[in-house]
Amino acid sequence: MSDLEFGLDTFGDVPEDDTGRPTSYAAAIRQVVDEAVLADDLGVDVIALGEHHRPEYSVSTPETVLAGIATRTSRIRLASGVTVLSSDDPVRVFQRFATVDALSNGRAEVILGRGSFTESFPLFGYDLADYDVLFEEKIELFAKLLDEKPVTWSGTVRAPLQDADVFPKTESGRLTTWVGVGGSPQSVIRTAHYGLPLMLAIIGGQPGRFGPYIDLYRRAAAEFGTTAHPVGMHSPGFIADTDEAAKEIFWPHYKVMRDRIGALRGWPPIRRAEFDAEVEHGSLYIGSPETVARKIAAAVSDLGVGRFDLIYTAGAQPVSARMRAVELYGTKVIPMVRDLLGG
Amino acid sequence: MTMTTHGFELGLNSFGEVATDGGRKLSDAETLRLLVDEARRAEAAGLDVFSVGEHYREGHTDSATPVLLGAAATATERIRLGTSVTVLSTNDPVRLYHDFSTLDAVSSGRAQLVLGRASATESFPLFGYDLADYERLFEEKLDLFMRLQRDEKVTWSGTVRTPLTDQRLHPRMRPGGIPTWIGVGGSPQSVIRAARYGLPLMLAIIGGRPQRFAGHVDLYHRALKQFGHETQPVGMHSLGLVADTDDEAVETWWQYWQPVVTALADERGFYAPNRRRYEAELDHGALFVGSPETVARKIAAVAEDLHLNRFDLKYDIMHLPRDARARSIELLGREVAPRVRELLDREPSHV
Repeated sequence: MSDLEFGLDTFGDVPEDDTGRPTSYAAAIRQVVDEAVLADDLGVDVIALGEHHRPEYSVSTPETVLAGIATRTSRIRLASGVTVLSSDDPVRVFQRFATVDALSNGRAEVILGRGSFTESFPLFGYDLADYDVLFEEKIELFAKLLDEKPVTWSGTVRAPLQDADVFPKTESGRLTTWVGVGGSPQSVIRTAHYGLPLMLAIIGGQPGRFGPYIDLYRRAAAEFGTTAHPVGMHSPGFIADTDEAAKEIFWPHYKVMRDRIGALRGWPPIRRAEFDAEVEHGSLYIGSPETVARKIAAAVSDLGVGRFDLIYTAGAQPVSARMRAVELYGTKVIPMVRDLLGG
Repeated sequence: MTMTTHGFELGLNSFGEVATDGGRKLSDAETLRLLVDEARRAEAAGLDVFSVGEHYREGHTDSATPVLLGAAATATERIRLGTSVTVLSTNDPVRLYHDFSTLDAVSSGRAQLVLGRASATESFPLFGYDLADYERLFEEKLDLFMRLQRDEKVTWSGTVRTPLTDQRLHPRMRPGGIPTWIGVGGSPQSVIRAARYGLPLMLAIIGGRPQRFAGHVDLYHRALKQFGHETQPVGMHSLGLVADTDDEAVETWWQYWQPVVTALADERGFYAPNRRRYEAELDHGALFVGSPETVARKIAAVAEDLHLNRFDLKYDIMHLPRDARARSIELLGREVAPRVRELLDREPSHV
């Protein structure tokens, strides 16, 4: 498992500063850049930024932030997590990520998804009723663009292309592209069909229940005759010096965020006991470095994934605690997981 | 609009054109990284603004301008980062707002842009727009984009994108938005539009006597007054190259400019360049090619005649060697800029 990769993911949640006030959006974005620079220094493999269009998140256009990170880092790979392809234009997405790839000497990764939030649909004039066809057609076009040759395509969700050559070209000839999947078997099969690597968003419950999706991915790839890449997983969590500190820093902000989203989705407010159970047996990787490392090692070996990304912000956790979480992830958690899995 | 204390700004403008190095063409990716180096170099040489265009054709790497500027933002500290031009007509104003509020954050408040209709038309079919809607696309999108910048909550409807109801965008831009100029190629209608919005005017003067734009400048100032807006700056963008001597600049530029303009002449149906026309452009036209002294005198003269507050030199042209680009940037910042200011200070104040 020595080739296991570790990432950090964020949606650029607007944090509190150390006096308890929310920072500006601009400061929240620069905070993400600083955290990515620290993660690069510490040898974390990937930073992934998710696209959102909600007031609590500062990142609506991951690529522009990733480009800023590119200049200040040298090794860390620069990913989205996810790019909401359904409500974007595949040509623009390709151009933007090919540009990030150039600016970072080939470190860009686009992770395409349908998004778990729906704000981008009305904002950009799409109908949620077209959820499936939008993603289906756009990933088909994106897969063609990945060949970096003139593209001819027609469909129902954007203007047709006739021998359209799209620039800039990448140096490797192929942009690293994953598909992020939340739990739809159809999405897993589609990912295998295109021979793209699969990133599982496991944001609640026991990670083991995603085992069948990984089997499905491998079987589908074998049937299609495409490559089954190492599967990745991303889950939320937080690290502090002790278990108690991690939970106490994380919980109040998490509850605010979770209840706000819950109100939109018809969930009841989260109770502390549910939170504790999720930390204990579910998909919240919260605690001291050792606790989090043990939990990651268990999930990784259970599912046989090749990459683990920790979503290290979920609410307005304060700036200094976030930096400390990044530091502990890089200096302690990653080496401990590697040790636990036998180096 | 904030103006620097010296009142005259000098900037660089690139269209992301592929450079060469010892005769070898750089890849798209190498050119993009070169552009970040050039932004750094421009800042070190003391220039005020680094701007990038937006193009969708082979040999141009500037299809994702805000992303490129995002990388330049963390490579620099003071230089302002802009566009010339952003093709508003084929962009979504909402995405554009996100891109530039993010760039402004990453650069700690140094983002600006020039909006235009573009002289190249590739983006229309690529993104599914009809050239027949050229005017309406720009008009409606400018209306929306300025509302998004000026109002925190926007309700809007039009024909060129989906309507918005009480929409707030995140991340928010700084209050009032970022400096937004209107790029104009020669249409009086566009000049009046810039004045109507009270936005600064950027003249793209890429051929012929720049002084013929005096009427546009005059029209702009009169229109600003009529619309009840304060005076706004006027800038100009032109092509050129600064080298150590006139001869070197003139011969280097000819070598790379001539094939580009020949191809363009073919495509757009105007006269192919010849040496006589080239020399006329150098003498009294819109090419700013020469030694620092020659280029400074020419910029100062035009700035005086057109009452300019800003001049951007488009310094890249297809396959121009990276060394020549670097030298041009150095000389523009270190020698031309101070000399232009010296020449302008000697004259009665023009601002």
